[in-house]
Amino acid sequence: MTLLDFARGPALQAALVIFIIGALWRFIGALLLPWRLVPAQPREGSPGTVSAWLKGMAVKMWPHEPFAKHGAFQFINGYIFHVGLAIVVFLFVPHILFIQGLTGLSWPGLPNSFVTVIGVVTAASLVAALLHRLRSPVLQLISRVDDYISWLLTFLPVLTGLLATAHLGARYETMLALHILSICVFLIWFPFGKLMHAFLFAFSRGMTGVRLGQRGAEL
Amino acid sequence: MTAKTTASGVPYDAQGEMTDQARRDAAMKGFVKEFGAVAASHLESCVRCGMCSEACHFYVATGNPAYTPIHKLQPFEQAYKRHAGPFSPVYRLFGLVPSVTVEKLQEWERLIFDACTMCGRCTLACPMGIDIAELIKKARHGMFKAGLIPDRLQLMDRTARAWGSPATPAEDFADIIRDTGEELGVPMNVDRDKAEYLVTVAPAELTEHTKALADAAKVFNAAGLDWTYHTEGFEASNIGYLNGDLELQEKMTRKLIDCAVKIGAKTLVLPECGHAYGAARWEAARWYGGEVPVRVIHMTELLAEVVNSGKIRLKPIAQSATFHDPCQLVRRGGVNEAPRDVMKALDLKLTELENTKALTWCCGGGGGVVSNTRADPIRYKAFELKKREVDATGTQRFVTACGQCRITLNLGAKHFKWDKKVESLLELVADNLAD
Amino acid sequence: MVTPQTLGEILEGRGVSRRAFLKYSSYLSALMALPPSMAPAMAQGLAAARRQSVIWLSFQECTGCTESITRSMSPTLESLIFDTISLDYHHTLQAASGEAAEHAREKAMADNKGKYVVVVDGSVPLKDGGLYSTIAGVSNLKMLQDTCKDALAVISVGTCAAFGGIPKANPNPTGAVGIDEIIKDKPVINIPGCPPIPEAMTGSVAYLVAFGKIPELDHLKRPKAFFGDSIHDRCYRRPYYERGEFAEGFDDDGARKGYCLYKVGCKGPVTYNACATLKWNGGVSFPIQSGHGCLGCSEPDFWDQGGFYRPLSTSMPGMGMALAGAAAVGAALGVGAALTARKHQQAYIREQAAKGDEK
Repeated sequence: MTLLDFARGPALQAALVIFIIGALWRFIGALLLPWRLVPAQPREGSPGTVSAWLKGMAVKMWPHEPFAKHGAFQFINGYIFHVGLAIVVFLFVPHILFIQGLTGLSWPGLPNSFVTVIGVVTAASLVAALLHRLRSPVLQLISRVDDYISWLLTFLPVLTGLLATAHLGARYETMLALHILSICVFLIWFPFGKLMHAFLFAFSRGMTGVRLGQRGAEL
Repeated sequence: MTAKTTASGVPYDAQGEMTDQARRDAAMKGFVKEFGAVAASHLESCVRCGMCSEACHFYVATGNPAYTPIHKLQPFEQAYKRHAGPFSPVYRLFGLVPSVTVEKLQEWERLIFDACTMCGRCTLACPMGIDIAELIKKARHGMFKAGLIPDRLQLMDRTARAWGSPATPAEDFADIIRDTGEELGVPMNVDRDKAEYLVTVAPAELTEHTKALADAAKVFNAAGLDWTYHTEGFEASNIGYLNGDLELQEKMTRKLIDCAVKIGAKTLVLPECGHAYGAARWEAARWYGGEVPVRVIHMTELLAEVVNSGKIRLKPIAQSATFHDPCQLVRRGGVNEAPRDVMKALDLKLTELENTKALTWCCGGGGGVVSNTRADPIRYKAFELKKREVDATGTQRFVTACGQCRITLNLGAKHFKWDKKVESLLELVADNLAD
Repeated sequence: MVTPQTLGEILEGRGVSRRAFLKYSSYLSALMALPPSMAPAMAQGLAAARRQSVIWLSFQECTGCTESITRSMSPTLESLIFDTISLDYHHTLQAASGEAAEHAREKAMADNKGKYVVVVDGSVPLKDGGLYSTIAGVSNLKMLQDTCKDALAVISVGTCAAFGGIPKANPNPTGAVGIDEIIKDKPVINIPGCPPIPEAMTGSVAYLVAFGKIPELDHLKRPKAFFGDSIHDRCYRRPYYERGEFAEGFDDDGARKGYCLYKVGCKGPVTYNACATLKWNGGVSFPIQSGHGCLGCSEPDFWDQGGFYRPLSTSMPGMGMALAGAAAVGAALGVGAALTARKHQQAYIREQAAKGDEK
């Protein structure tokens, strides 16, 4: 079995299995704890639960003005690598075909050169995020190993993917295998670190939206 | 109760005769009881972006990274991970998350009590929607059980438990009301058997700001409302809500609501106090199964009601003014427009502060911080943020709707020899009733 | 039969002019991607070469490799080159059969001890003592080992001989393996393909004959001259891949426009061969040009890569079930964790209530 066979076969399967087990375990384990949103009578005229939840999710997409001054770099850079990652992952044809193989769903992709440019921008943005974390006293105090592992495991797929398509580094098959293996490690780590914010944000934001929204407070 | 210092040189207070182990266990149990799905979702969600720090007046005023809001929750989060999180059995089994030590709890006492007013500005800044202020409030429950709260707050707690109020024994309440009424020539109602409105008070109004008792009475009388003060339910500021004594919080809340029910009141009116509103309006339902049997409103809401319905008319002040939005009333409470309605009725030309309404800077004294003298140095630094903003408006009057904010801001003014007087909205209304 | 004459002498005898011979040598060296200065050396080498004894062993094969090599489309000179190696044993092309054929093989081995080249097509089965393929009652395994003992070098022609090929495909009931898994003590050149491109076979043999050494090989022992680039990197349809224009099926608009065949399973990106450059039938076409994706036939285990029509980036089949199982396990663990935590909490709350208001 070549490295590529291993990566595409047993490794990817094991990684996906661990990812699904871990994510559901963490998610359900947290959400099945007792629900205790204090049931005070909502303020008259305040939004209902569902719309307060959704508003809580939506409002956090951009910081309030006083926070935007200091937070602008983080928000903008954050969007660059989140959106960039989304474009590379979901709009690159070979990736779309992988998802189609798993789920049957597919959609049109973007030209490869476009995706490559976005990939480079995403990688640069990730590096900028790391530098920011290393240079901020606040972030240096609160950062944990998890933050660095999550960064590395997000960065490596982008890097190896770019190297593979550019035929740089090792032989193409090896680079492709490393790319897929880096995704495997990413998937395995995902449920156990902060990458889970990809799913959790909907709940944390929504709950605050409901708590404050039902008081008639601004979000 | 003596001020102590940890091995690492961090000051803390400790009350009672518990062993370190007992304190640790009490804190852990107190923490674990709080971990429901909501707390869990929040605690799982931090991505360490640091946005909360720029929202916190203590961090911004001092530049000390330790005041980063989410950092204040570290031991609480650690307890969650070790005892209640989805992977907690694995973490415990393999020692991946250590037990919270008593030293850590001691070190964190000042972060949880001195450097946080539970103002909730960080909650608005967090991109993951973590309600940090709410979680700090929950963490205080465990800290209280462990006897690791500031001595001053513990003192007030003992007094409140003994007297029913941190300001005065319940037996003296009726006298204070009557004396004030006589002194200022205002007819007072106290201990009536039946009334539509039960009016409650804040401790400062029973000591230095007793005029407020008469001001409220004037307004109620002018509006022709059927109202009373009552010895069995008078203390509204609810110190249990802010110092972590959940049992006291329940006791004090029940007193108000049960008294209102007893006298057949439809409406419970809370004084000019922020925490009173948070406790009675938004948390009373915990103990009444969701259906609190009376309508609970803040004094500011009452003023807006009687002004907007024309029950009282006001003389115009016709001056420029700026308003400090009390955190528990506006940002956490949702009473955004009522104060502005009243100020408009007083013909006060409002110039908003640069950070206003839900985004207001906290006065720096809420959550018990102003009573906790150990926190004075950072409270004064935080005050400078407020002072700058008020000065920038160039207005003649500076008004707020919370007695504790008033005290905090006036203490700050004295410290910095600032000539601005902080005024009460209730007082302005009472002093400018048009008859 | 062994002839003491050199190749140069033979050609001269047949009326091949020196000029024509040099021209052919240049063509051959260019084919091997050797610099032009090598042409004279190649010519010299070829001219001085004695007829090389070649023993061609055929095992678990379909004879496609032989069919391919006989289509080697080049001027008559190439077939002369073919004549000038002494093909002392070949099932399909030899006149003799039966014991006479085996005897010819053994004699060639003895007469050219240490100097003959063994060419193999077809894989060798190992299971059950190798009885699943025999010649004259002798297992392929034994015949291979005996024949290679005194060989100069071994050339595995076709993917079956190189890597096990189709007989090795899952579940490999005969235990088929490629030649270099058995022969470890002789130089082995793999010329895979199903079948290999004719010129890849003849060019590699010519190199060996002309220079007396093995051409530069990649990590799978394939001559880099023919297997150095992937199909993808030389494919004329590559711009369509880059632009994201794909055929979605074999008869749709994209297919008719000659778009990239990645989505219909082309394995070009991971297949190394000369199909996109040399092409087939003397440069007429190759599978992609004819509208079908590359099967990856010059790569090991090409038959077991998930399917010829499954795109390269698709996951291996069988994923769905595993993931469904994972979901069930994850959900169960989550529920279990929450219930444990709740129990924990309830215990504390009860403990608190029992102790009363202790502070």
